Amino acid sequence: MIDSLTFLLAGTLAAATPLIFAAMGELVVEKSGVLNLSIEGLMATGAATGFVVATVTGSAVAGFTAAAFASMLLSFVFAALTLGFLANQVAAGLAVGILGLGTSVLIGKQYEGATIKPIANIDLGFLSDLPIIGKTLFGQDPMVYVGIASVVLITWVLNRTKLGLIIRAVGESPKAANSIGYPVILVRFCAIAFGGAMAGIGGAHLTLSYTPLWAEGLVAGRGWIVVALVVFGTWKAPRIALGAYLFGAVSLLELFVQGQGFAIPSQLMSAMPYIITIIILAIISRDARIIKLNHPASLGVPYTSGE
Amino acid sequence: MKPFQLVPRTQQSLAAQLLVPVVSIILTLVAGSVMFMLLGKSPPAAFYAFFIEPLTTRYGIGEVLLKMGPLLLIAQGLAIGFRAQVWNIGAEGQLLLGAIVSGAIALQFETSDSAWLLPSMVVGGTLAGAAWAAIAAWLRTSFNANEILVTFMLSSVALQLLYYLVSGPLRDPMGMSFPQSAMFGDAALFEPLVSGTRVNTSLYLALAVTIVAWIFVQRSIPGYKLLVSGLAPQAARYAGFSENRAVWLGLLIGGAAAGMAGVGEVAGPLGLLQRNISPGYGFAAIIVAFLGGLHPIGILFAAFFMALIYVGGDMSLVSVGLPNASTTIFQGMLLVFYLACYLFVNYRLQRRSKKQLISASSGREGSTQ
Amino acid sequence: MNFMTRKIKVLFGTIVALALLPLSQAFAADVLKIGYIYPSPAGDVGWAHELDRGRLAIEEAFGDKVESMVVENIPEGPDAARIMNQFAAQGAKMIMLGSFGYMNDGLKLAKRYPDIKIIHASGYKLAENMGNFQTRNYESAYLAGMSAGQITKTNTVGMVAAYAIPEVVGIINAFTLGAQSVNPDATMKVVWLNSWFDPSKAQESARSLIAQKSDVIFSIYQDTPSVVTVAEEEGVYVVNTSSDMKKYAPTKLLVSMQISWADHFVEQTQAVLDGTFKGTAFWGGMADNAVSMESWSDDLSAEQLAALEGKVAEISAGKFHPFTGPIVNQDGDVMIKDGETMADGDLLAINWLVKGVETRLPK
Repeated sequence: MIDSLTFLLAGTLAAATPLIFAAMGELVVEKSGVLNLSIEGLMATGAATGFVVATVTGSAVAGFTAAAFASMLLSFVFAALTLGFLANQVAAGLAVGILGLGTSVLIGKQYEGATIKPIANIDLGFLSDLPIIGKTLFGQDPMVYVGIASVVLITWVLNRTKLGLIIRAVGESPKAANSIGYPVILVRFCAIAFGGAMAGIGGAHLTLSYTPLWAEGLVAGRGWIVVALVVFGTWKAPRIALGAYLFGAVSLLELFVQGQGFAIPSQLMSAMPYIITIIILAIISRDARIIKLNHPASLGVPYTSGE
Repeated sequence: MKPFQLVPRTQQSLAAQLLVPVVSIILTLVAGSVMFMLLGKSPPAAFYAFFIEPLTTRYGIGEVLLKMGPLLLIAQGLAIGFRAQVWNIGAEGQLLLGAIVSGAIALQFETSDSAWLLPSMVVGGTLAGAAWAAIAAWLRTSFNANEILVTFMLSSVALQLLYYLVSGPLRDPMGMSFPQSAMFGDAALFEPLVSGTRVNTSLYLALAVTIVAWIFVQRSIPGYKLLVSGLAPQAARYAGFSENRAVWLGLLIGGAAAGMAGVGEVAGPLGLLQRNISPGYGFAAIIVAFLGGLHPIGILFAAFFMALIYVGGDMSLVSVGLPNASTTIFQGMLLVFYLACYLFVNYRLQRRSKKQLISASSGREGSTQ
Repeated sequence: MNFMTRKIKVLFGTIVALALLPLSQAFAADVLKIGYIYPSPAGDVGWAHELDRGRLAIEEAFGDKVESMVVENIPEGPDAARIMNQFAAQGAKMIMLGSFGYMNDGLKLAKRYPDIKIIHASGYKLAENMGNFQTRNYESAYLAGMSAGQITKTNTVGMVAAYAIPEVVGIINAFTLGAQSVNPDATMKVVWLNSWFDPSKAQESARSLIAQKSDVIFSIYQDTPSVVTVAEEEGVYVVNTSSDMKKYAPTKLLVSMQISWADHFVEQTQAVLDGTFKGTAFWGGMADNAVSMESWSDDLSAEQLAALEGKVAEISAGKFHPFTGPIVNQDGDVMIKDGETMADGDLLAINWLVKGVETRLPK
């Protein structure tokens, strides 16, 4: 029982980490008024790049850095399309997503199926040995804590700093923001780049710690879950993180329930995370007031610099 | 300050609309050459395998037409929704539902040789696809749930539903417990169109839908309203056409077309239900819809080109040894370049006058760039 | 205008030249071209990797008398047929289809091209020019199960399996029977992934099974080492199928159920070259060198190893069949009577689990 609880709690934290990184990035992008649907492709590119670089250099730090950089490069394509060429953001997101999925396969080809020593979990002595909470809170890999820190940091930046104010202003009303001298395009560009890097780090967490190997299709729809999380966290970082933990818990519970031998079709269990996501999405979106309050008003609308 | 500036066109340029797909294809080919060279393959050989070899044999042309059918069908349906800003990206799931329901009908009447079997499969599959999309429409209109996310999630659910059915209720009792259904009877299959190829009469369905779509978009009042509701929701509401109706109509049409495509697959090249039914037609059709300029005639050409990429990609796997992913990358690049070029449909580049340039360099701000 | 027509002429000339290119290649030396289709990347380990080792065995045995065309990672959908036809168009006279799902398209191809010989992995439909091949993995699964029964302390084995197809069900049953032959209290938990290839989920499944007291993990048809590395990290024993994964779990690998197609592939190629090929069903076991046990763990005691090696010898000599009655299913019904042995045909279509497996089959 204790083992099972430890598995579920500790596993949830680990499973949610790639989602949290990517979702924090997407949150900032959406707050600036841009809807980036290419997360799946960005995560895949980060996952493949991070794995290849970490394998070649033997350094996980190099892996994460390269992953962030590669996905950021790819997100520049998205930025160029949506900010420069004023393309429809949904279509641009899909295009870059597909491009990223294809590119990730080429990048990872030589290393497909190879494995890597996962980044080590931290060890805080007796703290890490405590039952249940030891492994859950004090025995994860370092990136799990970095992920949590990013939630705190993003919350603080968005709500308490000038930078956050600018980002939100640009997302609410780019015209007004422009008229008081904020560089709308530049802010959005930086937000997209940041979102790309974060998605890359999230992807790399999959290949460098969570799985830890690279294979085509490894991201397996997580990029779309991330987009859903931002909505059902109503554009608030802590709630998004909660959503990520919930999703992680549900997907682990599925496997746990199977092992317990309940006579539920395993396919139903496999579909459960998606079904639950849909239901929660519907429940949260139902209250139009909450959505209106937090939804960046200009989300998805291309901005022309008013020439 | 740049010497050029973008000026919105008062009217979309038809010349630009026609040029954009051509230019984006050329750009894709150029970028593709770079990719082939990076992969150590000679670009001419790769291009030959990709774009010409499929069209040199009757079998190859048949395969391109076979691929074109589902892409054309789905893209026509999606485009109608896209024009109204209804983003159905779960056509893959709607296709699977069409396949499942029409397959279940075929298996239920396995020994039937009735001429009504196939038409009822088409109707059943089409309705099933529409019904699957209706879930998203209902959640959007009643719960305000984003249809992009819901349609995508429903695709994953549909896949598990298919897995469940082919390893349980619809499994072939004589099939050694393998997860697939029995083969359908002949009455449940589309007739081959040309002997020696796999292209079948379901292509007529796709062509018929194209004509219907053209009439709907160009000549009908609901089609016009749907377009307006996408371009100007306020105006549409004023004209008595609610956003909710646009969502319902857009999703139902998209779902129905995708469901019909599912019938074409199981009653065509597959002839049974199995775990793998669609190689991502639902997603590729999104690219087709855009590449065709969301216009029924444009989509016809776009579907052909996309089918060519698919078939050429498969052929080049064998003859040039290109990796699988090149097809995906081609698709992605195509859409990226298309979206970039599309700017010039709505805008034109204009040389800034000397006066503007001078005043900009002496003044402080011109534009945010 | 003039400029345009000249451009078109140049373009046309290029096309014609390119079109003639493959023709000239077709008149090359008289070698047997063999096409191979794998359902997943050949990689380092796993199903496709073993198929690819079979290809290498052919190339080694026949040298420049054969030429290989390999295409990997092809889904079992309608597109596979196009690859097969492309092989035919490129002059292949022998084709290896590496997965069950290629069966119906393979059969159509066999009918259309009687001169192309096809060998197909794990199907059941045959033609004059199309045979199939499978391994008797239940033999090695029984032995692996024995070792698991010997070494488990918690009497719980966790299994990570792809789909509930007869092949996998048979392996689970044989493993359970083997474990119970030495340890009647041994029970099995299964997690179905409903995917051939999902390393993240496989890894999570292994962890969930370990959390539920499993101290031996059986990784069934996972083409990546994800489960094996988790077991090494968590310090529980692990058994895997298809390839030897000792290098991924140097201290915790209990044994690998190695498969090998080398002998069969070489034999079939010889038959094609000799013109004696006939489509037959090959079901190779230990006696045919198609299945073997690799890398027994050092933690097994000398007596345990002796018992295991004794069983290997018995099975190889055909003296022992794992599915020998009495065998009861999960509900306690006797499925195989005392002293009877399960017929090959029944075993190939098995869709019930033996007593001792706690998880129910997905229905």
